[in-house]
Amino acid sequence: MSEGYPVKIYKELDLSRSSLVLGWSEDIGNLGRKVTDYLNRKLKGQEFAEIEPEDFFSLGGVTIEGNLSQFPESKFYACQEHELVVVQSDSPGAEWHKFINSVLDVAEHLCRVKELYILGAMVSFSAHTTPRALISVVNSAEMKEALSKYDLVGDMDYQTAPGERPTLNSFLLWIAKGRNIPGVSLWVPVPFYLSAMEDAQAQKKVLSFLDERLGLKIDFSDLDQEILEQNEQIAQVRSRFPQVDDYINRLESNLMLSEEENGELIKRIRDFLREGG
Amino acid sequence: MGIRLYQEPQLENPILVASWPGIGNIGIIAIDTLRGILDAEEFGEIEPWDFFYPKRVLIKKGILEYLEFPSSKFYFKKTEGKDMIFFIGEEQPTEGGRMYAEGKKAYHMANLVLDVAEQFKCSRIYTSGAAVALTHHTIKPRVWAVPNSEGLISEIKEYGNTVLMSDIEGRGGHGNITGLNGLLLGVAKKRGFEAICLMGEIPIYLQGLPLSYPKASKSVLEVLSHSLEMAINMDKLDELDQKVERRIEEFYQQIPLEIRGQLDRLKHVAYAQPAEPGPITEEEEKRIMEDVEKFFKKRGGGG
Repeated sequence: MSEGYPVKIYKELDLSRSSLVLGWSEDIGNLGRKVTDYLNRKLKGQEFAEIEPEDFFSLGGVTIEGNLSQFPESKFYACQEHELVVVQSDSPGAEWHKFINSVLDVAEHLCRVKELYILGAMVSFSAHTTPRALISVVNSAEMKEALSKYDLVGDMDYQTAPGERPTLNSFLLWIAKGRNIPGVSLWVPVPFYLSAMEDAQAQKKVLSFLDERLGLKIDFSDLDQEILEQNEQIAQVRSRFPQVDDYINRLESNLMLSEEENGELIKRIRDFLREGG
Repeated sequence: MGIRLYQEPQLENPILVASWPGIGNIGIIAIDTLRGILDAEEFGEIEPWDFFYPKRVLIKKGILEYLEFPSSKFYFKKTEGKDMIFFIGEEQPTEGGRMYAEGKKAYHMANLVLDVAEQFKCSRIYTSGAAVALTHHTIKPRVWAVPNSEGLISEIKEYGNTVLMSDIEGRGGHGNITGLNGLLLGVAKKRGFEAICLMGEIPIYLQGLPLSYPKASKSVLEVLSHSLEMAINMDKLDELDQKVERRIEEFYQQIPLEIRGQLDRLKHVAYAQPAEPGPITEEEEKRIMEDVEKFFKKRGGGG
């Protein structure tokens, strides 16, 4: 481990060629947290290390969510049987380079990670009935070749627009490249009216890929049920509010909504789903 | 986190000239223009990782090709008179959403720049920035000079179109220089280097605009050329100044007539000593400032 990196290790591991999946806790559609929670639950992930927060987060108090105080966390879990390491972390507000190196130090030296999977979500202006795509950005031609047989959108061209900055995921992927760790940043589009809640379909899309790629053999029946329920709930909103149905119909026909209409659709869906129908 | 030198040029007591972006980019334009004119050669950089977030990513056909960071580069030029080292920082390493560098990172970067100055036995350091002043954009900007040692004051007094803080109305020799252009001066003093910061005046009503102010860069460069005993061709700066001047004039015409009337009076500001009555009284000066502030608040920060 590099000197001065603030990592607490609770347990030594017996991993030889593991894969690391990293998700951010406050992602669009809560994707990072949900996917990493799901993996840990299904594969019996055991916490074995964490990164101390003081260098990376503003610790001027605590935030409160759902009546509970929150505190930034960056935790490592091992699913030993599957040679899988899961990292669930709040996104650091400062010292990105040091944070990334802390993660990769644990990955390289303690877990002997051979591949890195970084989870991300993006807002989409498509309807929830549109099948989710999974976009991949890799850090080597070899990794691209290795992933070519999966259902991924892997030919994206992109450069940062003026006034914008690259994401932490790109930075992580870049530093991993410098350490010769093959990696992929996965991006799943989440319909804008689900982006502040959860999108079970987006979770399933990412998890199915990881399941296939890493040979995890996960039984997704619970997640399928969740997708079914979410779709049914949205169908109920559509039948109860013709305006919502009209908005979603238009999105399904690839038409854009006005800003005001977007706002109304978000509110209707959010209120309905939060009240549980 | 540190310095990476690609080569170690043989230099004789070089002068180090350093700048980072700031208000009107006055200092960095002046120094980068000089670097360009002298065709100085890049020979090193400060590694960006711990100072900056990436600024641009390039993805081609799904492969992350390149991640670009703000640069902090060293250049050198051997000349017959004086050898020179240039340091050009593309961004100031800021923390917590502040506009200018301060705190640990800024101090660390200043020290890295001075490590190079020490390695090459630099005899003097110049930095450059902006001085926000009650002046008008049609007036030739003065240069405010701040040395880090008493011994430099007499030299500065010989420079043309240059004032010391103590010569500026109502300042009594006091002031501050925000960000790294100022901090470097202080850290240089701590480490035993003599240093001067040259600040070109920018009218108060232009400080919030996303425009460079090459007219002041030219004033800085004139002073620097005198101090370095070096003839500098200003054609490039003049050309840039003419372009920017047109945009400034367009902006100026959008200012409400009443406020513009107040600002027009700045055309007649004489650089009076505090004891002499100037063409604008203190009360009038205060009113101009208030009007200008009110106008820019209405425009949402003047940007």
